[in-house]
Amino acid sequence: MEKYWQIEKVNLKYHVPLHVLVCILILGISPLLLGVSNLPAEDTAKVLERYVALTGIILITPIFLPEQDKNIRELVNSKYTKSSAVYLVRLAGNLCLLAALLGIYIGMLKHNNCQFPVIKYYLGTFAEMLFLGGLGIIFYRLSDNLIIGYMAPIIYYIIAAGGGEKYMGVLYPFSMSTGSYTEKIWLFAAAACLIGDGVFLKIPRPRLKTGCP
Amino acid sequence: MFGQLFIKECRQTARSLIYWLIVLVLIFDFVTQLGEMDIAREPKKGQENYGMKMSDDKDVIMETALGGLTEEYLRESYTTYPIGFYKSVTLDKKEDAKIGKIINEATGIKGRDNLEKLREEWYTAQEEKMQLQSGQEPGEAAEGMEPAMMQNLVVKPAEGLTYERFEELMDQADDILGGGSNYAEDYRKKNARVPKTYEDAMTEYHELIEKDRLTGGYARLFSDYMVIFLGLVPVFLAVTRSLRDKRASMNELIYVRRCPSAVIIASRYLSMLVMILIPVFALSMVPLTQCMKHALTEGISADPFAFAKYILGWQMPTIMIALSVGIFLTELTDTALAVLVQGAWWFVSLFGGTATLTGGMYGWNLMPRHNTELNWEGYQEGFARLASNRILYTSLAVILAALTVIIYGQKRKGRYQLSWKNIGRSKK
Repeated sequence: MEKYWQIEKVNLKYHVPLHVLVCILILGISPLLLGVSNLPAEDTAKVLERYVALTGIILITPIFLPEQDKNIRELVNSKYTKSSAVYLVRLAGNLCLLAALLGIYIGMLKHNNCQFPVIKYYLGTFAEMLFLGGLGIIFYRLSDNLIIGYMAPIIYYIIAAGGGEKYMGVLYPFSMSTGSYTEKIWLFAAAACLIGDGVFLKIPRPRLKTGCP
Repeated sequence: MFGQLFIKECRQTARSLIYWLIVLVLIFDFVTQLGEMDIAREPKKGQENYGMKMSDDKDVIMETALGGLTEEYLRESYTTYPIGFYKSVTLDKKEDAKIGKIINEATGIKGRDNLEKLREEWYTAQEEKMQLQSGQEPGEAAEGMEPAMMQNLVVKPAEGLTYERFEELMDQADDILGGGSNYAEDYRKKNARVPKTYEDAMTEYHELIEKDRLTGGYARLFSDYMVIFLGLVPVFLAVTRSLRDKRASMNELIYVRRCPSAVIIASRYLSMLVMILIPVFALSMVPLTQCMKHALTEGISADPFAFAKYILGWQMPTIMIALSVGIFLTELTDTALAVLVQGAWWFVSLFGGTATLTGGMYGWNLMPRHNTELNWEGYQEGFARLASNRILYTSLAVILAALTVIIYGQKRKGRYQLSWKNIGRSKK
């Protein structure tokens, strides 16, 4: 257990702060950009689905960020602890942070007299965050490129925002604001697959030549 | 030296996965938005409707604004654009009562119930009117006709209400809503829209085929759709390219070469610009061919270079700024920060442009909108601002690219090395 806590401590110290800061900034400036008080359920869903869920891309996608440096990747792979365990520890840490940020934001909405089913919207938004982040993770893992990892969920978001309901079917991310919740269950299931594949998938990468036979 | 590097960079871009993903995104954008484009036909007399246009008539402005305010008051949700993009405002009881008072004074109608009744009467009357026009029995669905709800509520002002007092009341309503509402001075004029007559529609059509020479209007529409993605996707390519040398541990090898920094950065930058423009030009061939065929059959003198002009004048500055932000911030920070910055800028610009879709109100938006092949007049009126906008972003892009050259030069000399990881470690 101690070793996993050490992994998370390093993650929290070196890799997460900037991402958390960006998320806090995004959530912090939202009252300037969007209405966040006295909202009915439909408008609250819009704020959560179209704005707050974007933080999922920022916090979930970069769990492989340290391994972008090939030397670190080689080092991690050479250790007794499986690399998938390292990723899972980082993922769990980032998800806890994301859940906390979302909880605080939803608390703020409730405090501002927005009328909405708290638990339902919390879980629905979290499912969307997981899906967007999961898309980032799988594309990142497949391409070994952080930028593609960011690009995939952002493009997905843009297509959805540009009237993508007809193309996305059950994976339409903005369904709560149209009164439907079924899509959130599908999004959660898809997110579990994407993140699971992303973490456990073994993709052969060129290794450093050591000179040894 | 520049030519060789340029060709090499183009080849590298063509071999990168991210470039082909960008091409796919652009194709998707084009197919979904313009895949089934219909060329405008000459309006015929006696058509059901010819669209809408803005009006300067004070009565129309008052009736439209009061109708809108009543509608939003009953819905208990107001649309505003306080810093340029969409914000939905819901008022508390005290503020809601203030809006009720304003409506009461401006329309002479007191109470939510009476307003509700007025709204119902309006839509019932609209429905009956449309059914009568189409010669159908009430209750029968009219095929191909817009539903009655599409016609916005119009409320007559109270007797004796002067335009000056109306303006004061609307300003008060706008203040209560936090500014940028449909009742602010600019918006209440923009919202006063009246149906176009046959003559209006004919004038617009003639402008499209004579002044715009058909292709001009469609090139604007093409630019409107393409610029949405072009305001963002180039940054992914730029960041990937800028980080590639570092990831491949090739920086030191390139730094010691004799080639000037300006040549290295310029060749990268121009190659990315050219490589992004290639699919845009290729996609423009589809609507261009369609327009030219139509022009040939209808005897219209179309401009075959209109798409090229609009791609270079309208879309290229947006591509350039996205690329510049990408290379500048990546060289500066050695991180993918540019994706976040450009993403945020894109988000604000996109939602900030939703009120300007009809064209003519280009402002300083990164992605100027003109979501119609018509409105040549609006384009002409807003042309000076559009040109200033495009020149500003082109200049800004060049400045950022020049700054990138300086940063890159300093890195080569070992005088500048900043990355977030180094900052974190130096504190230890």
